[in-house]
Amino acid sequence: MLKNTFLFILLSLFLAETVKGQTTTDAIMMQPGEICLVAGFEHSWFDHYWEGPLLRTNATVATVNRNTAFAGAAVGLIDRLNFLFTIPYVQTYSSEPNGGKFAGARGIQDLNVALKYDLIDRETSAGTFQVLTNIGYSTRLSNYLSDYRPYSIGSGNQEVNIRGIAQFRSTKGYYGRGSLAYLWRGQTKAERDYYYNNGSYFTAWMDVPSAVHYQLVAGKWMLDSHFKAEVSFTGLQSLSGDDIRFYNAAQPTNRVHAGIGMVNAQYYFKAIQGLGVLGYYGYTLSGRNTGKAQMWGGGVTYQFPIW
Amino acid sequence: MKIKHNYIALGAIILLLAGCEKDLPRYNDFQAYSFSSVDENGGNWKTILVSGGDQIAVPEPEAVTSNTYQAELTALKTASSDLTLDQKDAISYWTNNPFLRWNEIAQELVAKYNLIPGPNADGTYTLPNPQNPGATPNFPFAHPPYAVRALAYLSVASFDGLITAWHYKYAYQRPQPSDVDPSIVTAYEANGLPSYPSDAAVIARVSRDILTKMFPLEADYLAQKEEEHLASLQWAGMHVASDIEAGVDIGDQIAKIALDRAATDGMSKAQCPKPVSDSIQAAAFARFGWKWDNIEIPARPVGLTPLFSKVRLWNVPNVEAIRPVAPPTPGSAEYEEDVKLLKYYADNMNPEWRAIANFWQDGLGTYTPPGHWNRISIDYAVKYALNPLRTARLFAYLNMAMMDAGIGCWDAKYYYHYPRPINQIPNFKTIAGTPNFPSYTSGHSVFSAAAAEVLTYLFPQENDLFRNWALEAAISRVYGGIHWSFDAKVGTKEGIDAANYSLERARADGAD
Repeated sequence: MLKNTFLFILLSLFLAETVKGQTTTDAIMMQPGEICLVAGFEHSWFDHYWEGPLLRTNATVATVNRNTAFAGAAVGLIDRLNFLFTIPYVQTYSSEPNGGKFAGARGIQDLNVALKYDLIDRETSAGTFQVLTNIGYSTRLSNYLSDYRPYSIGSGNQEVNIRGIAQFRSTKGYYGRGSLAYLWRGQTKAERDYYYNNGSYFTAWMDVPSAVHYQLVAGKWMLDSHFKAEVSFTGLQSLSGDDIRFYNAAQPTNRVHAGIGMVNAQYYFKAIQGLGVLGYYGYTLSGRNTGKAQMWGGGVTYQFPIW
Repeated sequence: MKIKHNYIALGAIILLLAGCEKDLPRYNDFQAYSFSSVDENGGNWKTILVSGGDQIAVPEPEAVTSNTYQAELTALKTASSDLTLDQKDAISYWTNNPFLRWNEIAQELVAKYNLIPGPNADGTYTLPNPQNPGATPNFPFAHPPYAVRALAYLSVASFDGLITAWHYKYAYQRPQPSDVDPSIVTAYEANGLPSYPSDAAVIARVSRDILTKMFPLEADYLAQKEEEHLASLQWAGMHVASDIEAGVDIGDQIAKIALDRAATDGMSKAQCPKPVSDSIQAAAFARFGWKWDNIEIPARPVGLTPLFSKVRLWNVPNVEAIRPVAPPTPGSAEYEEDVKLLKYYADNMNPEWRAIANFWQDGLGTYTPPGHWNRISIDYAVKYALNPLRTARLFAYLNMAMMDAGIGCWDAKYYYHYPRPINQIPNFKTIAGTPNFPSYTSGHSVFSAAAAEVLTYLFPQENDLFRNWALEAAISRVYGGIHWSFDAKVGTKEGIDAANYSLERARADGAD
C-alpha cells in the first residue's frame, strides 16, 4: 500500500555539492519493523557554469561529468519514526578534449543519516494531510579532497539539517508537497594552509556556507497506486560565501545557489511484492557558483519486514 | 515528547559541532614583542639602492625642550588617551614590527590579483594593461615573476629606508616621548631606540608607495591602511608628529628611488609579442630539436613572460652565470626513466604525495611560491624577535635571492623551451594545474631553494629545516604531474647558485 512505499531520491550530487545527497523530502513512512533498501545510479554533467552570476563555459574543464552510485535504507523504528541512511560512491571527470588535463576524482563520499517523524497524519473526506519533520547528519567517509573543484566528490564538511515537510494527497491520487530545510554546514580542511576568500585566510580550514533547501512537488498516483509521476522544483541558497573569481576554480567557501526542475516516476511491481523501480531527470534552471547541470538517475527499491 | 527529545538532541549536536569549528585566522598570529636586539650600528649597514644610510638628508629635529616639541608632546598625550576600541584594535594589529603586516598586505594583494586572463569569446586573449588597470582583465596579473618582483622592491626599499632611519636615529639621539614625559603610556614595550625618525612611518610610506605602483587599483585601500597605521603610532604613544613626518619623508624618497629602478628594469617588456615569442621557440627548436607548446583550449599565443630573463638582476652578474646544463633529450634513457616515474606517481597517487602537491601548489588565486616563502619568513622573524631593520634585511635578501633565481629560471625555461609532461605523455592527467610556460627548470624548486638558502644563512639554528621544505616544494611539482624530476633537481641547484650571490653580499653588509 501507499503508506508502505518509500521513495528515496538522491537529488543532486553534482558539482560543488549544490545540494547534498540524502534529501529525505518525501512524505512516505515505513511501518515499524519494515525496511526499504535502495540502490541507484545517477549521471550528471554540465558544460556551462555560473561564475558568480555570470553563466559561462570553460574549455579548461570542458564538460564536467559526475557519476554517483548509492545505496541506502529506511527502517521503521517505532510508530511514526523512521531511520534513514545513504552512502554514495562518486566519480568525476572531464570530457575530452579539454585544456586542463586534470585528473578526475573518485571515492566513497559521505555517510548521510536521518531520523524522520510523522507529526500529523489526518485523513478527511477530501484526502490526507501530513506534516513531517526530519533531522539529518552527514560526515565524510574517505579522505577525498574537497578543495579540488570542480572534480572534488564532496564538500568534506559535517552537516546537520532539520526539515519540515507538508503534503496533501487527494482521494483521487493527486498530491502536492512542500519542504523547507536549514542545513548547518561546518568546515572542511584543504591541503593548503592559505587561501583567498575576499581577503587572506592563513589556515587550511574553510567555512562551508550553511544553506536553506526547499522543494515544491506536484504528482499523481496511478495504476491502482502502483505508479506515480511527479514534477518538482528544488532550491538551494547558501547564506554566506564568496563568488568564484574570474576564470578561477571554485572552492568550498563559495556562495552556491541552485534551482533545479525535475521530473520523476516510480513503479511498484504487482507481481513481486515490495519491489519498485524509479527514474528521474533534472535540469538546473538557475544558479550561482555552480554548474548548470543536467542529471538523470534510476534506482531499485525493495521493501520487506525485518521484525 | 519524542519530538522534543529530537530537537534537544539536534541542539546538542549543533553545539558539539560548533565546538569543533576552528578559528579562521585572517592574519599571521603574532602580537607586539620585545626585540632581541636594536642594532645600534644598523645605520652603518650597506644599503642596496642608495649609497648609504646618509644619502637621503634628514634635518636635525627640534630639541625636546623646544616649544614645538612640547606642543607635539601634548598632542601625543591627547591622541594616546581615551582610546576607542577601533584604535586599540589598530594598535594591536599593526604591532611594533609593522614591516610584517605590510608584507602580509602584499601577500594578500598578490593572491587577489593572481588571476590568469581568460579567453575572449572569439578565442583570443587580452592582456592586462598597466595604462588602464581597471579594464578587463585587471592589471596586474600577479603571477610568480610579478609577485617576487613586487616583494623584492617592497623589501629592498624598506631595508634601505630603515638603514637611513637608523642612521639618523643614532646621529640625533632624540629620546622616545615616554622617556621625555613618563606620564605617556606606550602600547608597545619601550625598546631604547631613538625616536626620530619613526621607523614605522618609513615602512608605512615605502609600503604604500611601492604597493600602489604595483597594484594601482588598490590605491585607496593602501592609502587608508597607511593612514590608520600612521595614526596608530600616536594612539600607541610611540612617536610625536615630527618623528612621523621625518619617517614619511624618508619613505617617499626611497620609494621613488626604488620605483625609478623598477620603471626601467625590463619588466614592462617581459610579456613579449607573439613574433618575438615564436622566434624564441624557433631558436630553441633549432638548437635542441624540441619545443614547448601551450595546449590550453584555446591555446595561449605567448607563454608567461618569455623575457623575464632580461629583467635587471639584483646580485647575480648575468643569467648565464647560473644557467643549468641542458635537460635530457626526449627519447634518451634518462628521459624515459622520468616518463616512467611520472606515470608511477600518477597511477599510485597516495594521500601523502597528494598533500605535498597541494600544500606547495601555490597556484592561481594564491600568493604564489615567493609569497609562501614570505609567509614562512614572518614566522621566523617573530620567533627570533627581529627588530624591523633586521626583519627588512631578512626579507630584502630573501626576495632579492628569489627574484634573481626566478630570472635565471625563466632564462632556462625559454632558452631550453622544454616540453611539459602533458605535452609528451599521451593521455597524461595531472592533479595540479600545468602553468603556461616551459618545464625546465621548475620555478617552485628554484624559488624555494633560493629562499631556503637565505633562511638557513639567517637562522642556522634551524639546521636543515628550510632546505628540507625546499626539497619538498620541488618534488611536489613532480607529484603534481606538471614537472619532470630533473626540472626539480636541477632547479634546486639553480636556486642555490642564485642565492649564493645574494648571500655573498649579505655577509659583507655589516649586519653579522
